[in-house]
Amino acid sequence: MQSSQEPSVVKPVRARSINYERQAKILGWLHRGVILFGSLAVLLVVLAPVTWLVSSSFQTEAEIVSVPPHWIPEQPTLKNFQAIFSASADETVTYETRSTQDPSSGNYIPSTARNLLPAMRNSLAVATLVVIFNLLVGIPAAYAMAKIRFWGRSGSVYFILMTRVIPDIALVVPFFLVIKNLGLLDNIMSLVITYLAITVPFTVFILIQYFEGLPDELDKAARVDGCSRLQTLTKVFLPLSLPSLVAVILFAFLTSWNEFLLALMFTQTAQSQTLPIVLASFTSDFTISFSFINAAGLLAIVPPVIIAIVFERYIVSGLTAGAVKG
Amino acid sequence: MKNGIGRAIGRREFLKASAAAGVAAFAMPAVKAFAAGGGVNFQTWSAAVDLVKSHAAAFEQATGLTVEYANSPWAQYRDAMVTKFVGAAPMDVMWVSDAWLPEWAEAGWISPIDEYESLMAYNSDAEAFCTDSMTYNGRQYGLTYYTDFMGFLYDADKLQEAGFSAPPSSWDEVVEQSLVMKEKGISDFPMMLAMAKESWLIEFMSAMVFSQGGRFTDDNGDSVMQDEKLGAQAALRWIVDAVNKHKIVSPGCVETGELSGLKAFASGNHAFALLPKYRLAMLNDPAQSQIAGRAKQALMPMGADGSHATVGWMRFHGMSAQAAADKARADNAAKLIEWFGGKSNGAYTFQKLLFLDIGAGFGVKPLFEDPAIREKYNSYADVEVIQQQQALARKKDVVTPWFGDWSETNGAAWQSAILGNISPADALRKSGEEWDELKSES
Repeated sequence: MQSSQEPSVVKPVRARSINYERQAKILGWLHRGVILFGSLAVLLVVLAPVTWLVSSSFQTEAEIVSVPPHWIPEQPTLKNFQAIFSASADETVTYETRSTQDPSSGNYIPSTARNLLPAMRNSLAVATLVVIFNLLVGIPAAYAMAKIRFWGRSGSVYFILMTRVIPDIALVVPFFLVIKNLGLLDNIMSLVITYLAITVPFTVFILIQYFEGLPDELDKAARVDGCSRLQTLTKVFLPLSLPSLVAVILFAFLTSWNEFLLALMFTQTAQSQTLPIVLASFTSDFTISFSFINAAGLLAIVPPVIIAIVFERYIVSGLTAGAVKG
Repeated sequence: MKNGIGRAIGRREFLKASAAAGVAAFAMPAVKAFAAGGGVNFQTWSAAVDLVKSHAAAFEQATGLTVEYANSPWAQYRDAMVTKFVGAAPMDVMWVSDAWLPEWAEAGWISPIDEYESLMAYNSDAEAFCTDSMTYNGRQYGLTYYTDFMGFLYDADKLQEAGFSAPPSSWDEVVEQSLVMKEKGISDFPMMLAMAKESWLIEFMSAMVFSQGGRFTDDNGDSVMQDEKLGAQAALRWIVDAVNKHKIVSPGCVETGELSGLKAFASGNHAFALLPKYRLAMLNDPAQSQIAGRAKQALMPMGADGSHATVGWMRFHGMSAQAAADKARADNAAKLIEWFGGKSNGAYTFQKLLFLDIGAGFGVKPLFEDPAIREKYNSYADVEVIQQQQALARKKDVVTPWFGDWSETNGAAWQSAILGNISPADALRKSGEEWDELKSES
């Protein structure tokens, strides 16, 4: 303990010059480090499930449940993919030709594996038709609402948006009755119609925002030069709207590709079932073949990934189209 | 001045053409669907798809009727069916779980089949609990698709290591043998119970209660679970003591589901387990289990006032009310139900092949005498024990329209008791009060 009588020693404080350059450098490194760390963390969260999906689709059922998990397969196998691609068409199955695989065995491949490729074709057809009809309906509607002044214009926009406030589950039974009365149960057109009801409002909304951002003078100039409304739209506005069109295409395609609830209700057989339904059917009440489901899941993400790569340069600008109005 | 597209097609022409195309697109499938009518609509979940197709093809050949077969994923099957019932989608025959029977029957979506003597004749061959499980308010609603029961399984090597020559036949012996195993360091928690709040919980509880000679409800459907002399309390008290006093069951059992419990038992962590009987095949498969060849089944241990009874469950072929309303459709539907749930060409072909193909249990006793079935069962289990245990299975006595609501309260009450927060008597009193309240409201 220090006595109060001892003289206190005051050390002189040496004035230090602040090295601003060094400080800025350190802050710069810190800043870059935080961004790098954050990016790596985000990358890990985003890529880990996909990596596991890819890895496990090449693993056997026994390897897939091993602890610790094998991120790189020790005994890689292509049997899941072979089962999918070698499956014959959905012909009449007899006692002699039926699959007799025991689902409690470790290498179980569901007999519905043969439905996967037809389901992919159905999904692709539905998604493509939905995209085409979205553009056919959404573009003229959005152009009219953005550039033509008419009575009830604002009301129409709000009404279209309001239809999307209703949750899909509340629409299932009304949709079902309409589809049944149209005789479209177990037909891919039932999906095209109902998916249009879901996607067109968003399409119109996104395009309205973008078209409103384009100067009215363009519209007027085109009209003065003798363009009809349709020509103004196709020759002036559409070439300028590529990013927003890409956003709409992506949105409509992915929504249709992934949709499950309505497809579950309206489709019944391999003739109309889409990919999410067939994937879900691989989970039976007796067992789940993880490796097979992951192989099927890997195939399911291929088309959306290809589309994302093709349209990559438009995606960000398209998604933010109309977000900031001048 | 118009030119190009705007000139070639006027607005009115465009609208007319669009409308015509729309009508054509809608009408063509409708015409096709109408033309395809006349078959028996058969709706199932996506299990044994190939077998169903092959058996349906044989039906078509034998009867000249066509089968419109469709399936949905198991997990979403009930929701999809409810929508289809509400939307009056064409359906004649469908698979039904015993858990949905009260709801579907009360809603008038499915119809009793007991007016068809040709179908009722199969009851003499069926296990009693199967027929009971398909019966609601005194009417029978179908014939078996598949059935199974909760089994008491054990690891034969651990039993031998502990010095026992036979598996326990009573719950007291389970405690006794487990304590020896703990003492010898064979297993920290020799008994595996999966008491997590999931769909399997009621089966685990019912097996324990039935083996203690207990019931949740009486013949009138009134709650008796709170009665201390009627077994339910003995069952819950045994679990509470096993967790807290003897420490032979892990306290983590309240978070262990059936699948996790199965994996834990398969990895050799436990000596005893309550699991669905059909899991024996997986447990004795070297590719999936570390106790392959050692997983055996014993009769359900009995309580002091109980028996070797266990709980069984059912999935069956039912007939839709819309089919029943039309005599010709109903007759065709009954033929299909008989072909699948009863005999086809003089034999229980579908139930036999279902077991041989995917290991799903059958509900008719004569199949136990079939050499192919005995051979398959004996490849991973003891057919005699299975037959004996299946004969002692009973239907769940809590399957009612309010089961879902009651199950929430009941599950929470059992878990509270297991964790020592309330006594078993209080837990079951609470559960019984909830049952009575829900019943009076229904």
